[in-house]
Parts: sequence; structure tokens; C-alpha cells
Amino acid sequence: MTPLQLAWRTTTRYRVRAMLAIAGVTVIGALLFDMLLLSHGLLLSFADLLNSEGFEVRVLAREGFARVPIPDSQTIADAIARLPSVADVAQITLTLAEGRADQKPPRRLTLVGRALSTTRDAATGCEVEINHVLGRALDIGPGSTFRLTPMPSADAATAMPPVDCHVTAFADFGFNASSDATALVSMAEYRRLVAQEHVDAEVILVALKAGSDAAAVTREIGTLRPDVHAYSNEEVVAQFNRNGFAYFRQISGVLSALTTAFAFLLIATLLTVSINQRLGEIAALRALGIARRRIAAMLLWESALLVGAGAVLALPVGGVLAVGLDRILRQMPSLPERLHFFVFEPRALIVHIAVFVVTAAAAAVYPIWLASTLPIASTLRREVI
Amino acid sequence: MVAEARHVTRTFPMAAGAVTALSDVSMTIEPGDYVAITGPSGCGKSTLLHLIGCVDTPTSGSILFEGRDVAALTESARSRIRLTRIGFVFQRFFLLPMLKASENIELPQSEAGVGVADRRTRTRELLDYVGLGDRGDHLPSQLSGGEMQRVAIARALANRPVLLVADEPTGELDETTGEHVAALFDRVHADGTAILLVTHNPTLAARATRRLSMKSGHLVA
Repeated sequence: MTPLQLAWRTTTRYRVRAMLAIAGVTVIGALLFDMLLLSHGLLLSFADLLNSEGFEVRVLAREGFARVPIPDSQTIADAIARLPSVADVAQITLTLAEGRADQKPPRRLTLVGRALSTTRDAATGCEVEINHVLGRALDIGPGSTFRLTPMPSADAATAMPPVDCHVTAFADFGFNASSDATALVSMAEYRRLVAQEHVDAEVILVALKAGSDAAAVTREIGTLRPDVHAYSNEEVVAQFNRNGFAYFRQISGVLSALTTAFAFLLIATLLTVSINQRLGEIAALRALGIARRRIAAMLLWESALLVGAGAVLALPVGGVLAVGLDRILRQMPSLPERLHFFVFEPRALIVHIAVFVVTAAAAAVYPIWLASTLPIASTLRREVI
Repeated sequence: MVAEARHVTRTFPMAAGAVTALSDVSMTIEPGDYVAITGPSGCGKSTLLHLIGCVDTPTSGSILFEGRDVAALTESARSRIRLTRIGFVFQRFFLLPMLKASENIELPQSEAGVGVADRRTRTRELLDYVGLGDRGDHLPSQLSGGEMQRVAIARALANRPVLLVADEPTGELDETTGEHVAALFDRVHADGTAILLVTHNPTLAARATRRLSMKSGHLVA
């Protein structure tokens, strides 16, 4: 009979103890798994969000991500568009606005002006694409008309004259929060709506041709216009990783360490109690000549079975828990709707398994030492007394 | 000679001061011996049995097992002797509760590296030998005290030891059941295995060919 078979028999014989241990490890493991998903989830989701927009480089007026008009943005956009690696350049600017439709209360929205280098920018008589939030709020959709009032600042006194706009399509805006209402117009139309002949973009987005190096393009842009700041998506993610998301990593690191410590203590305690209940049995085995290494291997397998079963069960439990927690956290205001806190990645699974392998081994160390070093004769004597 | 104790003393350090459980004890066990040690509780019987059974080492003096000084051996070597040359029978049986009777008997054979087919054959022989040929698939919890002790004796004999040591083997059994176990020891002895047992049971001790009595850590007869 192998040590694994002996461990299996022991585990199945002491079912209640095994079930309690597995349940404990499952709960702890689910928390650990969620912490691992959380530690990189927001960053992965943010990177995914950036990449899904179809632009690999962002150009801003200042270092950081403050929204400030880029002086003479058209000139730099044209220069960037001429770079051989560049497929398209989008100039983006935005302002507050208010939308009204019959029978519906007015709705604040973000009005986005966009000019693409590959498309002729023309005033279109206020043809807009809207997101579904605005569509639901005003009960409008493609083919509908609503009144749009641009508001260069939040102060209603700065409102421009209202304009009737025609909805051409629904559009998704990746960085919209779940309650954000957004309307998109061409840059030329935007200028007309805010009654300004010249509007500089606040951000320039650059789409690259396949196989192009985003870092090289950011350097080229820096050479073209040293006063602007160009960031590849990787640089944006790295910057957020250093600043914005470091808290999540730290919190999840601390909680992961705590949950691992709980798993270790739970299994070590249960195994130690189990050994103490079976001291006579173990002393007898050793008196019969069963080698210490076989008893040690049996205990190690017992630990592995309890921790392994709990760790495996923790994955679906952790998954369900992550979905629920993600739903709660995503209700935070102003958060992009497509941003997630808990994102699965193979690395999290590998770390989860590695942590539990180490925990199982570490938790078995003291019980193994106890069983290996117990004095056979005095233990047998004590057991009889 | 199977085992020899030479001027053996065993002292146990205690918080209140060292306790001498055995003092200058000498004895031998020859092949085919059937030795019973009797005496009041705490007189050192079990301590002597544990020393000769190679689960303990003396504070002074020496234990020779088949001519080898037990104290000079590594724990691994002592463990090997216990596995292949000595069979242990305990008062409380100490069968593994999660293993069937046959599996308990197979365990020391498996540890000794006996092949599966040989193990099965030997286990069947031993179950028949102790009169439990039809109980091999039962768990210890499904056996009576006497049956458990018979399985324990079969387990002790699994690797064909030269010496069977038994510590109060009838201590947990009623008189009738104890009688059956005693008869089994007679049979083991008749088949050529040396036996050293410690008992309070005068009927069991009377069946031994050599009876030793202990008092306060000394052999007195």
C-alpha cells in the first residue's frame, strides 16, 4: 500500500475532519484566487480597453493625462499622419452639452468632436452618433432628432443656442461609465456647434499599420513636436501601474499573504490535531518497522489531498465570487463601463497552484516532524496508560 | 542467540528527578524460547520488552539482537530489524482503522518489499492460521477484540520474524477470548518462533516455557 493510498484511506475514514478542512481551504482559496485576479485584473482590463479602441499611441499637450488643448493640433496631426507607420490619426475634443427630446427630461451629456485623417472632416448639419445611455434617456435612436445645447462649461449661462441634431447610429465609447451619455460629431460640426472657428484637439489618437513599433512612433512624434507628449498604450498602462493601480496590487498582496497564512494555519492545525489523536497508531507503525519516510510521505499526501481538493474547489467558488465582487466594484461612479477589476489570466492560476503546493508542504512540516521524532517506547506506554 | 540483555539499565529523566525503570538486568532469548515476564505494574516489564524489541536503547549496558549491538545501530537499521526480524503485538492492537484486516497484514510485507502476489498468498495463509480466513475484508471496527488481536498477531508474523514480542496481549480481552489468543501463541511457539511476552495474566504466563518475574526494575526469578 503506497503512502498516497494510506493518505487517501485516512482522509476518507475521517470524513468530517476532511470535509471541514476542504471547506476551509475552499473558502480561503477562493479569496486568494480573487486577490490574484484583482492584483492584475484592473491593469489587464485597462490595457484591453486601450487596445480595443484601435489606437496604439496617444498624444497630449502635457505630461500626464490632463485634458488640455494641444496648440495647433491640426498641424501636428497632419505631420503624424504622414509618418510611414501611421494608418490613421484622430483628433478628439469634448465638452459638456445637454440633450432634450419631446416628453423627456433634459439629459447632460458629453459632446465629442472627432476628426479622422482618413476621412474628410465636414460640417454635416448636426448628424450625431449617440451611445445607448443617451438613447434610453431621451428615447431616441437612429433616425430620431433631438435638441443639443453645447455648454462649454458646466455653467448653464455659457450655453450655446440649441441645435436640432439627427441621430445616424448608436456607438460604443470604451471609456464611458455605465451612466455616461455621449454624442459624437465631426470636428467641423463640433466647431460649428460651439461657434468657434478654431478648436484644438485635447488628445490625438494614432492608429498604426500592422507590425509597426509604437515606441518608435512615440519617439518620432517627440522629434516632430518636442512640446507634446506621446505615449504608447504600453507606456500608459505602465504609468497607471506605477500610480493609479498600485493600491490594488498592495491590497491584494497583503490579503493574499493573509489568506495563505490562514490556509497554512488551518491545515497545520488539523494535521497536528490528527497526529496527536493517532500517536499510538503511529508509534505502533514505527514499532512494526514502517519507515519514517513512509509515514512522512503519508502525512504529506494527507496534506496535499486536503489542500488540493480545497484549492480545486476554490477555483469555481472564487470565480463566482469574483463575478459578484466585480459587479459591486463596477458600480463606482465615473468608472468606464467596460473596465473590470477581476480578470482571469493563466498567471493567476499558476500562482494559485504554486501557493497551495507550498502551503500543503509547509503545513505538513510540523506534523511530519512530530510523527518522525516521537519516542516509540514512551508513546506506546502512554497510550496504554 | 536471538537477543541478549547485558547489565541493562534504563533511566528516564523526569522533571522531579530521574526514574530508573530497569537496573542491571541481564537475560537471553534463544531460538524457540517462549519467555513470559510477569510482575506488578511499573516494575519495568514493558521497558525491558521495548529494549529487546529494539524500539528503545538502554541508558547503560547493551542489547544485542542476533549478535548486533542495538544501540550502535542507526534508527533506520533498527527499523529494518523490527520490520523483518521482530513481530510486535500490542495490548491495544493498534490496527490501522482505515485498512481491512488483510491490508493491515499486508502493510509490513509491503514495507519489506514483498511482491503483491506473495503478499496476498502470505496474508491468506496468516488469516487462515489465526482462524479468520473469512474476515480478511472486514475493517477492524467490524471485528471483536479477540479477532482484532488475532489479526494483530497475523500482522506481527507477516515477515516471518525470529522473535515475537507481545505487551499484555490479553490485557484488553475477556478470559475466554484471552484463552484463544493464548492458544494461538502456543501454536506460534510450536512453529518455531521465539516469543517474549509481558503479562499480568497468570494463565498466559503459565503457558510459557520460561517465566521471569520482575520487581522494582530487577529480575527476581
